[in-house]
Amino acid sequence: MTWLQAMILAVLQGVSELFPISSLGHTVLVPAILHWKIDRSDPTFLAFVVALHLGTALALLVFYRDDWVRITRALVASIARGKLSDDPSERIGWLLVVGTIPVALLGVFFEKPVRQLFGSSALVASFLIINAGIMFAGETLRQRSVRAGAAGEVVRSLPSLPWADAVKVGLAQGAALFPGISRSGSSIVAGLLLRLSHDDAARYSFLLATPVIFAASVLEVPQLFAPESHDILAQAVVGGVLAAITAYASVAFLTRYFHANDLRPFGWYCLIFGAVSLALTLAKVIA
Amino acid sequence: MKPVAIGLAVVFFILAALYATGTLQFGAHEVGGRAHVPHLKHAVLFAILGGLSLVWLRFAGNASTGASAR
Repeated sequence: MTWLQAMILAVLQGVSELFPISSLGHTVLVPAILHWKIDRSDPTFLAFVVALHLGTALALLVFYRDDWVRITRALVASIARGKLSDDPSERIGWLLVVGTIPVALLGVFFEKPVRQLFGSSALVASFLIINAGIMFAGETLRQRSVRAGAAGEVVRSLPSLPWADAVKVGLAQGAALFPGISRSGSSIVAGLLLRLSHDDAARYSFLLATPVIFAASVLEVPQLFAPESHDILAQAVVGGVLAAITAYASVAFLTRYFHANDLRPFGWYCLIFGAVSLALTLAKVIA
Repeated sequence: MKPVAIGLAVVFFILAALYATGTLQFGAHEVGGRAHVPHLKHAVLFAILGGLSLVWLRFAGNASTGASAR
């Protein structure tokens, strides 16, 4: 992998991990379209990917640092007390714990087999088109429920989300095991269908993604320091920093974007990119 | 609820230990044909679930104390 390829992949990871357009889908399709000879199962490439994920997770932690401090304090206080209170930060903290359990179980047991089975460019492009469908369907169903319900009853705040619904959002996030389905897209759509606002659905999605990405990458950190990864360590460090900067800029943009906008532009992007990639794959232009 | 929480905690910690020692291989895919390979991710996950079961036990204990006091 050249330095230019490494830096392009780092920027791609930082942006596409948080935009609802599937980072995994992009890191499979973009190198294939550009005819880069990258072995995705090579230990040195896996070490590089670990650094990118670590950078993304750190960006999310820094962006939501005030929330995490409040949530952690509230969780520790509630455990010490042995009782739940009405503190919204405590409620959000437990919602994150409850929502993380299904995605952690799914990820640990099914990530590798699913990605091995569905890792071909044609399937990834197809899943990207399905990802577009999920976002269009989510927005359409959401608008129907807004039209059907009276104002004020339609949207609920994040702390009022029931426990079972937190599990549903976690399960929806598990759909991102399929390369081409976006983690943030699927969990934001689930949040919208469970009557959260775009703001709160995106915030819950990003908060929910943080421990998952962080834990998964921290557990793989030893790969970075394995003897076979020494050659790529400099690229991994610079790539991780670049991924962190672009991820921070992405989450800052998206939190403002979702104040007044919806998922459909990302749906159109995934539909067009997925369709073009699928056509190129079927025409054997890309492998 | 307390017996359920205790039972879950015991089961999760045993599973964590079995994955950590490599005795249990169920659902682990990176073994490369080798037997008794420790699976850190699985072990950490089940250890965390065991810890959360203990937290649930604490909440359940306080709830039952509160109920009996009433």
